[in-house]
Amino acid sequence: MGVVVTGVGIVSALGVGVQSNIVSMREGRSGISAHPSILKTGNILPVGELRMTNDELHRLADIPVHKHLSRTALLGIIAAREALADAKAEPSKRIGLVSSTSVGGMDLTEGFFREFMKDDSAGRLRDVRMHDCGAITSAMAHYCGINAYTTTISTACSSAANAVMFGAKLIEHDVVDYVVAGGSDALSAFTLNGFKSLMILDRQACRPFDRSRAGLNLGEGAGYLVLQGDKNSAPNYYCRLAGYANRNDAHHQTATSAEGEGAFLAMAEALKLANLSPREVSYINAHGTGTQNNDSAESAAFIRLFGENIPAFSSTKGFTGHTLAAAGGIEAAYSVLSVAKGFLYPNLNFSHPIEEFGLIPNSEFSEGNNIDCVLSNSFGFGGNCSSLVFVR
Amino acid sequence: MEQLIGELKEHLIEELNLEEITPEDIDSEAPLFRDGLGLDSIDALEIILILEKYYGIKLSNSAEAKPIFYSVKTLAEYIMKNRK
Amino acid sequence: MKCYIDSVVVDSRIPADDIRELIPDALLRRRMSRLLRTAVATAVSCVGGVENIASLDAIITATGWGCLTDSERFLRNMISEDEQLLNPTPFIQSTFNTVGGIIALMGKNHCYNMTYVNRSHSFEDALLDSMIRVADGSSRNLLVGAFDEQTQSQYRIMERMGVFRSQSPGEGSVFVSILSEKSQSSLAQLVRLDFPGNSLNETEVLERYASSSASLLLFNSYRDKGLFPTASAHSFARAVELIRCGESEVVVYNEYLGATPAVSVVQCVG
Repeated sequence: MGVVVTGVGIVSALGVGVQSNIVSMREGRSGISAHPSILKTGNILPVGELRMTNDELHRLADIPVHKHLSRTALLGIIAAREALADAKAEPSKRIGLVSSTSVGGMDLTEGFFREFMKDDSAGRLRDVRMHDCGAITSAMAHYCGINAYTTTISTACSSAANAVMFGAKLIEHDVVDYVVAGGSDALSAFTLNGFKSLMILDRQACRPFDRSRAGLNLGEGAGYLVLQGDKNSAPNYYCRLAGYANRNDAHHQTATSAEGEGAFLAMAEALKLANLSPREVSYINAHGTGTQNNDSAESAAFIRLFGENIPAFSSTKGFTGHTLAAAGGIEAAYSVLSVAKGFLYPNLNFSHPIEEFGLIPNSEFSEGNNIDCVLSNSFGFGGNCSSLVFVR
Repeated sequence: MEQLIGELKEHLIEELNLEEITPEDIDSEAPLFRDGLGLDSIDALEIILILEKYYGIKLSNSAEAKPIFYSVKTLAEYIMKNRK
Repeated sequence: MKCYIDSVVVDSRIPADDIRELIPDALLRRRMSRLLRTAVATAVSCVGGVENIASLDAIITATGWGCLTDSERFLRNMISEDEQLLNPTPFIQSTFNTVGGIIALMGKNHCYNMTYVNRSHSFEDALLDSMIRVADGSSRNLLVGAFDEQTQSQYRIMERMGVFRSQSPGEGSVFVSILSEKSQSSLAQLVRLDFPGNSLNETEVLERYASSSASLLLFNSYRDKGLFPTASAHSFARAVELIRCGESEVVVYNEYLGATPAVSVVQCVG
């Protein structure tokens, strides 16, 4: 049974909902701000932050503020509900959820720990109730009308792509009728300081694939797709999920191999599963974080796979920041819309190609393009490299 | 200089968790990375922290650090010149 | 859907002295927390040595809590050092897929690598992924593992939540080698996995899942290992051990702290 995409939902620094994300990109408006304004941190670093407090997010989701959900869960609920409504999912069918996150409820845990470190009888327990990743999925299932199999994946920055991949398997094997698959991550002081300690945060807006790139900007958000079997779905689906692959770079705990081995293998295998040759790819939504290491390795992998015929490609992280576990979900949703509506997204802040590779990303937003096949890349710590292939 | 080299080796062993290595095992002139002591890019970040924490020296990225981090000796020489 | 269990290793069977042999790379080992060492050593022991990692075509790990020691270390440093001069190692190793990533790195294995972090179902979700991959021919030689660790803070927090009034704390690692085909060394076969939406009693479990009256039931036996999300993996290990000792079928039913249950059925190799 083939797998089709029938719903999309996005929350990012560009705003709540698919529409506000597309409008921002059409207008070339980035969601990156000079420093966090909601997140409590002393770091003055650019971030892709959704400018809404947790209380405002509770109200937006129509959930009482006293339920005290973590930010990751709130972002996830809002995006997953949009995707489900978009798919017009029938509540009488089996609706599953494969969600992913890298920080879980860390946004609340941080507040708890400040008190707990002074006195281990202090700190409100309701702030750690949602610490683990599974708690986020469980809250999402509760507030999104999920009635069948539910799981949670965490493979760092490739998490949501792996969630979409496993979601597709659940459809292929008839475990569920619909699956909501993707990821959610809120900004947290934990991750911001973590990436700062790795010295891979740019103090300016990130410049993916540019010669002068100096690191990534962290972002937050959630992106979910609704997948169904093609035999059970209405004929007006967005596109097909024709291929997917998860491969490991097996090179280093955090760095990517110079030749982008894992990235190359993931893209090649996903295309093979889709029965497509590299020349049939119309657009690549690159992982493109803006770090020296990722963008070089990904460029090297592009050249290995596509030779001289590199398709149009761009990183949308100049708009959203790197949303970690959510990135693969948000970018999968952008990729789905690219196939369905012919969108090509710009790569912000690019001026000069990396000398060694000479690759020039797509720089303008355009629509009505003839897009038959889009590759969405997500790579992460632990060598995890995943690629998804969406076709018409 | 000799004292600084000894002190640096202690810091490296402590901060990089080189649990099975003693200061005597580290050749001051041998490369720290790859073929020498076998350190990697995560260790480079840790050494940047050692410089800042113990010697008040700030390096903003690991690329600039490459020649300085060649060996314990080059590291010590850099610290002598730049410590605050 | 079914698959064959060729080896099961529980961390308690690994003496501390063996960890050096199982993780021979001192440079890799030096940064690893107690959990990472134990889990990775258990994994290596399960596949019979580092040299056998390369032949795996799927590495699937499961953890409810993840690398708590490293997460907590980074969080504490961040707060006490006021977000300045932070050591990156605990942050890197706080990632949930650290164990899976290290196993791949040790064997230079580029295969499928997945991590489930779904509370008390994490291990069963990893098993489901394995069964699906075996069923559609994606994988033939899989390593599936579960691990969770206890820390003082986490103990204190759970104690305050009142969890330990009726249960004791616990931790541990289990790795399972799964093959798509029956082999000389097959210990048991996993024939069914289910996630019923509501609680069942012992009679209901046997009625629904036992294939004969000879079937043995491990009903919430995860509690014997103490309370941690992947404790059910230890019940699964025990089920395989019971089959090895001559039982024909074992049904493992786990219902952890108010979560919906997960059921696995293990049989002898016919």
